[in-house]
Amino acid sequence: MKVALRINTEKVTDPIISTVILEKKARINILSAQVDEKGGKVLLEVPDEKTEEIVKAFRDSGVDVEVGKIIEILKDKCVECGHCITLCPVDAIFFEKDYAIGLDENKCIQCRACLDCCPTRAIKL
Amino acid sequence: MENIRTIEEINDKIKKGDAVVVTAEEMVDIVKEKGSKVAAKEIDVVTTGTFGAMCSSGAFFNFGHSDPPIKMEKLTLNGIEAYHGNAAVDCYLGVTKMHPERRFEYGGGHVIEELISGKEIELEATAYGTDCYPRKFLKTILTLDDLNQAILCNPRNAYQRYATATNSSDEIIYTYMGKLLPNYGNATYSGAGSLSPLSNDPDYETIGIGNRIFLGGGIGYITNEGTQHDPKNKLGTIMVHGDLKQMKPEFLKGASFTGYGTSIYVGLGIPIPILNEGLAKKTGISDEEIKSNVLDYAVGRRSRPVLKETNYAELKSGKVLLDDKEIPVTPLSSIKESVEISNILKKWIEKGTFFLTAPVERLSRDRVFKPLKVASEIPLAKEIMDVAVTCKLSDDIDTVAKKIIDENVNHVAVVDEDYRLLGISTSFDITKAVATGKTKLSDIMTKNVITTKPEDSVNICAKKLEEHDISALPVVDRDNKILGIVTSEKISSLLGKE
Repeated sequence: MKVALRINTEKVTDPIISTVILEKKARINILSAQVDEKGGKVLLEVPDEKTEEIVKAFRDSGVDVEVGKIIEILKDKCVECGHCITLCPVDAIFFEKDYAIGLDENKCIQCRACLDCCPTRAIKL
Repeated sequence: MENIRTIEEINDKIKKGDAVVVTAEEMVDIVKEKGSKVAAKEIDVVTTGTFGAMCSSGAFFNFGHSDPPIKMEKLTLNGIEAYHGNAAVDCYLGVTKMHPERRFEYGGGHVIEELISGKEIELEATAYGTDCYPRKFLKTILTLDDLNQAILCNPRNAYQRYATATNSSDEIIYTYMGKLLPNYGNATYSGAGSLSPLSNDPDYETIGIGNRIFLGGGIGYITNEGTQHDPKNKLGTIMVHGDLKQMKPEFLKGASFTGYGTSIYVGLGIPIPILNEGLAKKTGISDEEIKSNVLDYAVGRRSRPVLKETNYAELKSGKVLLDDKEIPVTPLSSIKESVEISNILKKWIEKGTFFLTAPVERLSRDRVFKPLKVASEIPLAKEIMDVAVTCKLSDDIDTVAKKIIDENVNHVAVVDEDYRLLGISTSFDITKAVATGKTKLSDIMTKNVITTKPEDSVNICAKKLEEHDISALPVVDRDNKILGIVTSEKISSLLGKE
């Protein structure tokens, strides 16, 4: 399961992720991490069976957590051209049989490669 | 080919609800299974459809007169400048005109989409004031209902077929064919293949001036051959217009191509009456039979190198084979929407709400699409390059230093035994090597060399030199073999001559 964290500036230097990994004995994969003046943004892949307790542990340590929905294709904007498909390095976007756009949210790593290629700006992370 | 029915007879059948209508996609299988003779007997109309970015598009608006009246000189709609070289309160808004602050993100195409979605648009106009039109400034909010006329008018739409774009360079390029990844990382194509209107009537027997068509979800008309109409190369186009007030935002969508500009997706469908067996056969055209050239969009020239000829069946498979590499390929047009348009048009005809028209005039079949005549030619890299002074990776610094002095150059290209470029070292690199005590060429040369192709124009060379703050560009072929070198001194000397 994909889990997105937002860490405020005061907590950005705390070893929050490693603490959770050790406490919960969970294999957590860090897909991306960014720190700037507004704080930290981290995208994690966590084991499905431990998602609930891991999310709770992060929330308890004062981190904003969002689970699952990390990419969205706005249906009223998308013209289903499919240009994003060739830009996606993890095959999270694909054509269905009738050339409708299919999306596998679990595969998305929020690399942003598809964002500026979309002619109708229909992809939101 | 002898005609077996007339358009009038087909329209009678439509009136009675008896017309047999199929989409161009369905027709492929029908002709394959039953043959064109039987298909011609059974089918009255074949509907086509396409939905792609069509940059030539735009719209004419008439606002009506204010009191006191104004002869608008400059005007913007939601901040987008409209062309106003016509009467007092008329204008033409082009879809590629960009907002001055929100460039690439918001343009004329978006304004048109918002208007047909029922949204309010801000009109701002200034004028110099005349005796008959004294007002000098006007600002107001309008919706589509407030306009007297709003006419979509597109000089070049519905390309019969189109090129496939890919990128040989080692950088991402942003084009009107989308975002193209380095080293043939992806490819894009345009057009709907077997559903494409003009590919289903390649001799323009039934598609011509005056035809009623599906345009943007409403009714439109073909008003001329399109600009750049190129029938001999099967690259025909049509000029269309239609009433925006009938159109729907699903079939007219503003678009943004990063680094290129704004545009609009236009949904367009044309019914083809099956007047004879020949037309049945032609509308049975399959994706395999419609060709597309794969072009290298990294070459910024009018004629881009053709890397291979493919067809819409290979393109629709999602992979195009180039040399031994499978390149992921997707359309920029929407196949799903194209199918949808052909189905809507089919329903309109079946329900008896859309009737067919014979062309008033036929489209030209021998027009030639000429390039622009320009007064001065821009030289190419291969024409201005000097012979490259080269050395081997095993050469020591002293040898390279001697070459620089003997040949009176600043750059020495480091090549392998097949003359493939490995790196470049400059007189500054050699000086630095001496100063820091380095003796191996591989330690001092630049390995990620910015190169150029022989067919690149001097403009592209100058752009690369400036962007990367360098003074020379090795010219290499597709195998990275060195052909020569373009230096900034050479480009300066060309300008000096003028």
